[in-house]
Amino acid sequence: MRAVNAKEMPAGSESTPVPGPARAGRRLSLRERPEIVLAPLAFVVLLAVWDLVTRTGVVAPVLLPSPWKVARALRLLLTAEWFPANLWTTVAETLAGFGIAAASAVAIAVLLDQIRLLRQVAYPYMVVMQVTPSIVLAPLFIVWFGFGISSKIVIAVSTAFFVVLVNTLSGLASVPENSRLLMRSMCASRLQTLFKLSLPTAMPFIFAALKTASTLALIGALVGEFVTARSGLGRLLTQFSFALRQDMMFATVIVVAALGVILYGLVAFLEKKLIWWR
Amino acid sequence: MARGVTTARSDAETGTEAGRIEIADVCKLFTPRRGSEPVEALRDVSADVRPGEFVSLVGPSGCGKSTLLKMIAGLLTPTSGRISVDGTPVQTPRRSVGMMFQTPELFPWRTVLKNVLLPIEIFGHEKEFHRKRALELLEMVGLEEFHKALPRELSGGMQQRVALCRVLVSDPSVILMDEPFGALDEFSRERLNVELLRIWEETRKTIVFVTHNINEAVFLSDRVVVMGARPGRVLSVIDVPLGRDRPRTQQIMRDPAFTECVFEVRGLLGL
Repeated sequence: MRAVNAKEMPAGSESTPVPGPARAGRRLSLRERPEIVLAPLAFVVLLAVWDLVTRTGVVAPVLLPSPWKVARALRLLLTAEWFPANLWTTVAETLAGFGIAAASAVAIAVLLDQIRLLRQVAYPYMVVMQVTPSIVLAPLFIVWFGFGISSKIVIAVSTAFFVVLVNTLSGLASVPENSRLLMRSMCASRLQTLFKLSLPTAMPFIFAALKTASTLALIGALVGEFVTARSGLGRLLTQFSFALRQDMMFATVIVVAALGVILYGLVAFLEKKLIWWR
Repeated sequence: MARGVTTARSDAETGTEAGRIEIADVCKLFTPRRGSEPVEALRDVSADVRPGEFVSLVGPSGCGKSTLLKMIAGLLTPTSGRISVDGTPVQTPRRSVGMMFQTPELFPWRTVLKNVLLPIEIFGHEKEFHRKRALELLEMVGLEEFHKALPRELSGGMQQRVALCRVLVSDPSVILMDEPFGALDEFSRERLNVELLRIWEETRKTIVFVTHNINEAVFLSDRVVVMGARPGRVLSVIDVPLGRDRPRTQQIMRDPAFTECVFEVRGLLGL
């Protein structure tokens, strides 16, 4: 806030009439959208409070390391020679889990949409599977698929799958009745109706789900690593926890958060490119 | 009546069946839910539409006019009775019958031109020739400069014009219109009605036009099929005595014969 005010100061001097309108415009936009300043400010305030709390010893430093200690730990983590391999493990598990979940969920949703009987038979099972937190299956999947990367991929798939399936189904069901009739009146085949009408109509639904699914796949991979793993950010977190390295845990959390944001951003970018008509 | 409209189209005189619709003793029962009483949507409907004729179906909601239209399109099958188009019985939708709805149903991800070309894509017809034709049609409705626009950039009336081009692009012999301008404001509706008549004049398609607007029906049609509800049935078929001097303009609404005809239809509908 202070920095912005300092910037505005010179333009604010009353003796310069020429930049007047521009200055007024900028002020107005700031007044209309105070979050531009307030959101970063909140972060600064949070850091300050965090720092104050650790400095004064209100919370024991063992429990909550200071922001500076976390920053140092983050540098340590990012430059450690074992870090890239661990990062890559989690990234690979998440991407593979997300990709498999997205592709199979859309494919199965299309199949269910096309075959009514199949949909009616599958519906109760889908409800049960959706309301059961698939995380509870993680230990089982480890037993079935081993300690390596494949069991984490399976867990990531199972957490990310249903939101895509359910959303794609409602997207396909949202095709306007008259649009269907129009396609039928033009003697369109099932495949033509699917590719020229149903799938494009469902696209916004699918992408809304994919954004959620990208985060869910990351959660699945990490939870799998919590249970048992040889490598990965989830394994690092449990190890740092056992070693009482809270600073390193915070640093890892920051990396995980960044990973989640990047994944989400990528899907959101794809969404903008592919659904240009919105 | 056939005389009047066959001057531009020799098919009717030479006996070609393209554009002819025959409806004989058609009944339609709907069962709304499994096990419930069937509802009689249409009872013993018979009517013929000659090639190149403009016929309106008018009636209150529930008179089965949309149902009848969908059966002509092959989207529904009659419970009993026969419907034939172009001289052959209707079993499924066919390419020679085009359909327009109350909503334009343009696909928002397609440009105006690509929306118009949708039937061509689906039929697998030659693209380059039809591209030219689509642009000509868009020019005819005054939208040629919008061919690259997306549907959401157009007003409701413009969108329906695009839908009209889409139905015309494949050169069908019959066009079925289900209250195509019913969702538009009065000004757009009147302008589109005049435009539709001009285009019909140029192309001489058979048009079956469903509406619940009596003025509109009389203004547009050679004949008006007046329908009643519960059960849906044909009450009467009225010849519109407005002469053969097409294209009609709004001026014709001053004609006492127009008012006379409107009130004849109103009388049949109990208004």
